[in-house]
Amino acid sequence: MPFDQKRINGPEVSVPYSVYTDVNKSKSSKPKKSLHKRVDGREHKDLRKIFVKTGVISQAKGSAYIEVGITKVVCSVFDPREIPNKNEYSLQGELFCEFKYAPFACAKRRIHQQDAEEKEFSLVMQRSLEPAVCRQEFPNFQVDVYALVLDNGGSSLAAAIMCASLALADASVPMFGLVTAVSAGFYKDTMFLDLTVEEEVLCNSAPAKPNPPNNHGLIMQAALPQHDQISEFFLVGSINIDCIKQAIETLTVANKNICPVVQQCLVKTVLRALKRKEQEKN
Amino acid sequence: MANTLLSLAEKTFIVHGVDDNYRTDGRNRSEYRPMEVETKVLPHTSGSARLRLANTDILVGVKAEVDTPYPDNPNEGKLEFFVDCSANATPAFEGKGGDNLGTEISNTLTLAYQSSHVLDLTTLCILPQQKCWKLYVDVLILQCDGNLFDAVALAVKAALYSAQIPKVTTATLDGGKADIQLSDDPFDCVKLDVGSFPVLVTLCKNFTFIQIGENCVVDPTSEEEECSAASIVVAVMPNGRITSVVKTGYGSLQPSTLVKTLELAKDIGIKLNAGIMNALKEEDELGSQREIFGFLK
Repeated sequence: MPFDQKRINGPEVSVPYSVYTDVNKSKSSKPKKSLHKRVDGREHKDLRKIFVKTGVISQAKGSAYIEVGITKVVCSVFDPREIPNKNEYSLQGELFCEFKYAPFACAKRRIHQQDAEEKEFSLVMQRSLEPAVCRQEFPNFQVDVYALVLDNGGSSLAAAIMCASLALADASVPMFGLVTAVSAGFYKDTMFLDLTVEEEVLCNSAPAKPNPPNNHGLIMQAALPQHDQISEFFLVGSINIDCIKQAIETLTVANKNICPVVQQCLVKTVLRALKRKEQEKN
Repeated sequence: MANTLLSLAEKTFIVHGVDDNYRTDGRNRSEYRPMEVETKVLPHTSGSARLRLANTDILVGVKAEVDTPYPDNPNEGKLEFFVDCSANATPAFEGKGGDNLGTEISNTLTLAYQSSHVLDLTTLCILPQQKCWKLYVDVLILQCDGNLFDAVALAVKAALYSAQIPKVTTATLDGGKADIQLSDDPFDCVKLDVGSFPVLVTLCKNFTFIQIGENCVVDPTSEEEECSAASIVVAVMPNGRITSVVKTGYGSLQPSTLVKTLELAKDIGIKLNAGIMNALKEEDELGSQREIFGFLK
């Protein structure tokens, strides 16, 4: 891990105290409960409530804030700039994405630099957004997108992708359509939609009896619901093909359902901008 | 990946060939190019393999070292992938040029091996909370001619199959400190699950499917990669389960296409898994005295 000399780093070897408590033991009884009914009272295919807002960072060209349950993500987009360290002319503009958890966002403290997971998520974000952006409109330039997770309540990658697409729209970056994203998880035969942190942990761990092999795993699907296109499909775990098919169907519908929320927020943004213009005229 | 410059006419030629199910090198859409694999090519490693897929050349070395387990998973060993894109492969990899591609491949491998159905990391634990094995899987890309993901995953599977981890004879706690002793006999080794339980084998293959026009193509050459907007990398276990899916490239897919692609990936994955296991067993049957060709070919 690269060491940042300019910051005061925490002690190199430290462990969150929760490792030593009995929380882990009591967890083993939990899965059964949440398989029946989810902790927050939702049905398995229900999404959490979403709140979105644009224009939260005054210094950025465009910005957005999203809350999905207790997951909070803020995202900013900056003016296009020349692609650094590149000599040849590139016909298509580039999108640079950075996904970062705030140091206090998760149960375990995150360091200031991106770790491997965050780098991976940055790439996923880039791949989900690229199909939606008209990159031919800004050749040889790069648009920077920074997503910061303030509070990780699960599905933060999906939230960050939606937030980023809103921020891009707010920054008036030409786009083919909005990007929405929903996550799903499998544990045995149960499919959860829009996971919380506990459910993510549960779906990441394999069921105790490997024979016959049970499903477990996480899926994140980003889509352009207005065009019926999937822009990114990210799966980890061990799932059989029939369940994946079922998940794709459910997630496609869920993505379509989310779209109006995001659209409404953009309409509000435009109305606000028009109002401001009129006031300036007067 | 490697910068292959193609004119519009050449691209159209390739795409039309794919539509007719007859590719520029005479294959159909779901055919692989010939492969050669050899294990135990590097004497300094616990396990190694070299795989050539047409002109894509991959060398993998596995090293086992003793490490301390993570505090969150005290009963688990560690597995780490490093992919190094050598500047020999293409000048574009010079300096930091290959870093992005290297991270992308190693991330994909990490995801594919993450499930405990694939590799049960608890088997790599020596003493809980104290000592565990850490397997370093170092991948070196010597030449690239398309389809790096598949070639790397196959080579990694072969290398892990050949890996021999020294046997631990005693592991005790002495006054809170771990004390482990390894067997003196260098041939007294433990093999990874790959050999002993081939059904749970647990190592996966990646398939790159490239969406050219409406059809997908297996095992693309670098020219075909240049023509594609999006590809799906799927890790398939020998029993047909899918352990990871990643999309690469800048394009997007329709849901129905995605489903079709995944199904095709599953079918081909099962065949490819069987193929590599057969090849590895055939090599095993030659015994320890077999001639190692290495790079003299």
